[in-house]
Amino acid sequence: MSTAGETGWIGRSLARREDARLLAGRGEYLADLRVPDCLHLCFVRSAHAHARIGAVRLEAALAMPGVAGAITGAELSREVQGQRIPVLIPAFPARYRQYWPLAVDEVYWHGEPLAAVLAEDKYVAEDAAAAVEVDYEPLPAVTDAEAALCAGSPRVYDDWDDNEIFATGYTGGFEAEGIARNDAEVDALFAGADVVLSQRFRTQRCGVCPIETRGALALWSDADGLTLHLTTQRPHIERLALADLLELSTSEVRVIAPRDQGGGFGVKAPFYREHVVVCHLARKLRRPVRWIETREEHLMTVSQERDQIHDLEIAADSEGRILALRNRGIGDVGDGRQGVYWGFVMPSLGSVMLPNAYAIRHADIKLRCAVTNKTCLSPSRSFGALPTRFALERGLDMLARRLGLETAELKRRNLITDFPYTTVTGVHHDSGDYVKAWDTLLERVDLPGFRALQAEARTQGHYLGIGFACGAEFSGIPSDVLVPLENQPGYGVVTMRIDPRGKVAIHEGDAPQGQSHETTMAQVAADAFGIHPDDVSVRHGDTGTTPLSSGTIGARGASYTVAAIAEAAAALKAKMARYMIHDHGLEDADPADFAFQGGAVVYEKDGNVRRDFGALADRIVMGSINLPPGESPGLEHTAYFEAPKPMICFTAQAAKVEVDVETGQFVILDYATCEDVGTVINPIVVEGQVQGGVVQGMSNAMFEEFLYDENGQQMTADFETYRLASAADVPTVTVSHAPTPCPDHPMGVRAVGEGRPGPVPGALANAICDALAPFGVEITALPLKPETILALIEAGRAGEGA
Amino acid sequence: MYPAPIEAYFAPRSIDEALQCLAEAGDDATFIAGGMSLMQAMKARLVEPRVLIDLNEVEELRGLARGPRSLTVRPMTRYRELAATSALHGALQALGDAAATVGDRQVRNAGTIGGSLCWNYVASCMPSACLCLDATLVLASLAGGTRSVPIKTFLVGPLETARRDDELLIEIVFPASIRRGVGSAYRKYGGAVDGLPIVGIAAQVEVDEAGLCTHARFSVGGILPTARAFDGVGEILRGRPGTPAAFAEAAAAAADAIETQGDHLASAGYRRVLIRTLGRDVLAEAHARASNGAGR
Amino acid sequence: MKKEITVTVNGEAITHTVPLRLLLVDFIRDECGLTGTHVGCTYEGRCGACTVQVDGRALKSCMKLAVQADGKEVTTVEGLAREDRLHNLQKAFSRYHALQCGYCTGGILMNAVDFLNENINPSEDEVRRALVGNLCRCTGYSHIVEAILAASAMRHGLKPVPPPAETEPAP
Ligand SMILES: Cc1cc2nc3c(=O)[nH]c(=O)nc-3n(C[C@H](O)[C@H](O)[C@H](O)COP(=O)(O)OP(=O)(O)OC[C@H]3O[C@@H](n4cnc5c(N)ncnc54)[C@H](O)[C@@H]3O)c2cc1C
Ligand code: FES
Ligand code: FES
Repeated sequence: MSTAGETGWIGRSLARREDARLLAGRGEYLADLRVPDCLHLCFVRSAHAHARIGAVRLEAALAMPGVAGAITGAELSREVQGQRIPVLIPAFPARYRQYWPLAVDEVYWHGEPLAAVLAEDKYVAEDAAAAVEVDYEPLPAVTDAEAALCAGSPRVYDDWDDNEIFATGYTGGFEAEGIARNDAEVDALFAGADVVLSQRFRTQRCGVCPIETRGALALWSDADGLTLHLTTQRPHIERLALADLLELSTSEVRVIAPRDQGGGFGVKAPFYREHVVVCHLARKLRRPVRWIETREEHLMTVSQERDQIHDLEIAADSEGRILALRNRGIGDVGDGRQGVYWGFVMPSLGSVMLPNAYAIRHADIKLRCAVTNKTCLSPSRSFGALPTRFALERGLDMLARRLGLETAELKRRNLITDFPYTTVTGVHHDSGDYVKAWDTLLERVDLPGFRALQAEARTQGHYLGIGFACGAEFSGIPSDVLVPLENQPGYGVVTMRIDPRGKVAIHEGDAPQGQSHETTMAQVAADAFGIHPDDVSVRHGDTGTTPLSSGTIGARGASYTVAAIAEAAAALKAKMARYMIHDHGLEDADPADFAFQGGAVVYEKDGNVRRDFGALADRIVMGSINLPPGESPGLEHTAYFEAPKPMICFTAQAAKVEVDVETGQFVILDYATCEDVGTVINPIVVEGQVQGGVVQGMSNAMFEEFLYDENGQQMTADFETYRLASAADVPTVTVSHAPTPCPDHPMGVRAVGEGRPGPVPGALANAICDALAPFGVEITALPLKPETILALIEAGRAGEGA
Repeated sequence: MYPAPIEAYFAPRSIDEALQCLAEAGDDATFIAGGMSLMQAMKARLVEPRVLIDLNEVEELRGLARGPRSLTVRPMTRYRELAATSALHGALQALGDAAATVGDRQVRNAGTIGGSLCWNYVASCMPSACLCLDATLVLASLAGGTRSVPIKTFLVGPLETARRDDELLIEIVFPASIRRGVGSAYRKYGGAVDGLPIVGIAAQVEVDEAGLCTHARFSVGGILPTARAFDGVGEILRGRPGTPAAFAEAAAAAADAIETQGDHLASAGYRRVLIRTLGRDVLAEAHARASNGAGR
Repeated sequence: MKKEITVTVNGEAITHTVPLRLLLVDFIRDECGLTGTHVGCTYEGRCGACTVQVDGRALKSCMKLAVQADGKEVTTVEGLAREDRLHNLQKAFSRYHALQCGYCTGGILMNAVDFLNENINPSEDEVRRALVGNLCRCTGYSHIVEAILAASAMRHGLKPVPPPAETEPAP
């Protein structure tokens, strides 16, 4: 087994292998692929949020020179399977509505695809799509989730008796009796509490749209079937679903995620209906078909997440110890028709994650999810949890203020300290030292110094504030959780192959989009074998050459996939050692007696017994005579890593802001985090992941909001109206570490990718409220619009006067 | 995403040639300057010009020229050039301020003052800055020669100006006395740094040797139907020293007097807050620049 | 509806007959096959992934027509390195891990090179404001800003702080 730092490649900020091509403009993104004779596909999308579709007239489009074909939803529904198929359905008791890739009869959101046209030229394809005429009979649009759940609300689906797609509780087990007992216990704790805080928190619809939109390029061959190049985080799952939907044998379907993808952040994880259209038409016309999503389509269709309301109640004692939580959540999931997540899996996991890193022994947590005439929620980094992080982190600050306690102290007091720990919602915390990370952060921000500065500044009319938040996040999740959650395996897997020259190839079925796998995974393998990272190549994303994996989601890279690399390397090292024992006649030696270092395999008990790593590989792969008894030739191993329970990583975050009380505008003066990501493979990569995640959280908190008008028309389908933070809107994010090794990971790694945006809105809002404490300002909704903050300041001023 | 088909494209080299092209092409012809607004509209297919007349090669439409009592800015002068030139220091600095904060570097490398004025988008910076600085616009047409239009008349409403379809904007003329003691400034609030103005404010202040305000102009952009000036600011400040209280009073008066709209970016009330606070700060900055000039 | 144009792309004169409505970015990507220039917007011209230099000035190539580049010099990210020697800024981007997915990177480099020609010794604030026209969704900008400041410092023979990533890992 490889241990960290054995030969020195772990923990070093190596410059990335990916950079050479990306910096030279030679990346291989989906839109860069060139195939001859390719048709361009353009979707016709609904102009209404809810309408019955009458005639869809393709004639004018088909008559345009250069147009090669067009199809309506009705026609397509006769040629492919509906999308309610087992591989796309998780094991939750929810309503899974049948749907087709293009709308048939009725459209349920503004932007739903209902027809597609194909042309030789992408400009002409757009002309032709605009020439398709559609008759609509508008129906009432349901746009408010809470109203949608009330009796008598207009319905999104007229064959459902209400708009509830999913509802459940997360505490007290699954039996009515246990739940009732649990809830009664919680009621009693509330009744006896020194203090109870009750507050509604809202998080707006926003997400983490990547700068590269989605795209698909399908090639059909009568001999080999379908090859699909696709922006996706999960090529293997995609392949299975496509085979079912197109009624092809899986041997005829190959999905390839391009080597380079321009960000994903969860958005490229679901199974999207557009892909089916692209593949089907490529097969039907026997020509390559390409679709590159426009930014407008992207913002109308995907990247919409968060959108939750939480009525949160916290019961605590006078020292600020949390006795119990009660929460009633509402998720606005949009139309709820999207493979694997169906809109509600995100808010559902958000409720599971609500207790966060706090030792909360008792809770009553329930969630209801409503369908509305909006696009279905699709995942965004911090999957479902950003809204509940915001609610609890804000709620605890309000509690601290009510008790007259320093909020950093109140939170510290409630952090989990006894590991392993299982939360009331069943989240397993394997190990860690949350208090150490918290204290490291406190030291970094110099809380007493800041309080003095703040007091001084206030006397001069300047309002400074500090806010804290934290996140205990999944470092990938095991099969135990992933199979029921998403109907797919949770193991990490790689196939590792060593060639006769001693070069190591790692094949992973994941599909990264900027996470630096080619570098960090090479570091891990190089460290294990005592060779140079340049002698390790990492290949990913091609279902034709990689083992089936669940994809690059939920911070699985450094946790599950790296663990599989460590295990594969350990297996191959053992095999190489056994050959050494055999070849050198070392009957008494144990495979563990061999060190892999400096490009050689050395018998530790006698340094003269050594083989060059490449020479030994050559012996085993090419020299397949005189084998050790029972041994096979060749150096290839596929390792499956499974952790017994989810692994957890931790982030503590602090924001300092200054607020202008005349306008409600604020600037972030400083943002610091302290991380426990376990063993750090490449510090600069980890820092980049944290900084990027934090700024996504800032951007969500400050600017981003998908707006629909009362008729369900989308109003934010471009980067001018859906605003992302620019470099000038955010500060440098400083990252420190307080690592504890993860016991369930062979190298002690925890992952980092997923959760970092989650705590940010809470930390920022807390800082603003801290700055505005003299006015009693308590923010309860996102985004943090200066106008809203000013209204709260003025309300506080009026209250003072009264 | 892609413009509708274009039938003809001309890149004239002189004003005459440009006007000739326009006359020949007729109704569906459109000038393109920096393209930062027009290309957006074309790609969104809000406009589908059949003929494009590119002004980027017309040398005589570029640059600045100082006259005895005026400064002429030609319409194809880019934001980058306006932000960098020292010709605007003092009385016309508001224009430089505004140009320096339009959009982003790439937009400033391409976009032009003339394009912005002729487009007259609500959330824009040039119209309010030019209104404050009392510009006169010179328009040329093949049929009618040239005519001068005061900026106040030129700006009509959202995406609407007094320019006739057959006219080319050829000059923007600012009164620019060489007297010292005049300063101006522009600031905006756009949500994010350098964002489109939800409110943008320009002010010009003149002070005498004793430091008293002799004259002030004040205009607001980002509001419907178009950028507007508020003369009351000059009346309030005249004869008074430039104190924070005076600026606050003047800006508050403007906020009360100017009608604002509410939309999903900001309510009417918040726009008034912005006029009050930004207005006060802009006046103070213009005054400080005027005083520096006066003291020199 | 078509016109023959000659554009000097990364030093090489390219003559093509193009539709009048062809965007410069599509000319670069589809006609010249230079796919380091990316597209991230529909019509708004906000993301900056398509930034190239036209006659030395950073511009968004999705906001220009190809015909407007007739007779001009266009430099794309592929033209930044000289005979396979990376530009200082490219090196700094790698050392400071200023790119993750890399989709925004070409546009940022083309803008930043123009910026550093204009402002030879910028402050952090100036660098951040110069980047407003380039959205990056991965990095949070911190490393990008550090890399640009470092490239500027290198030009002045100064040692960049903080210490960058290792470039030539020694075994
Ligand atoms: C990302 C982005 C951010 C932006 N941010 C801001 C901002 O913060 N503030 C701001 O004010 N603006 C902003 N803009 C708009 C920008 O300022 C535009 O440049 C400006 O509105 C138009 O100028 P242009 O030179 O690009 O004109 P074009 O777009 O080429 O033309 C605009 C219109 O003017 C007409 N026209 C141009 N020149 C003449 C002439 N000489 N005579 C007659 N008609 C003419 C054209 O026919 C066209 O109808 C932004 C734009 C973008 C893309
Ligand atoms: S594609 Fe040109 S700015 Fe986004
Ligand atoms: S590195 Fe991915 S968008 Fe910038």
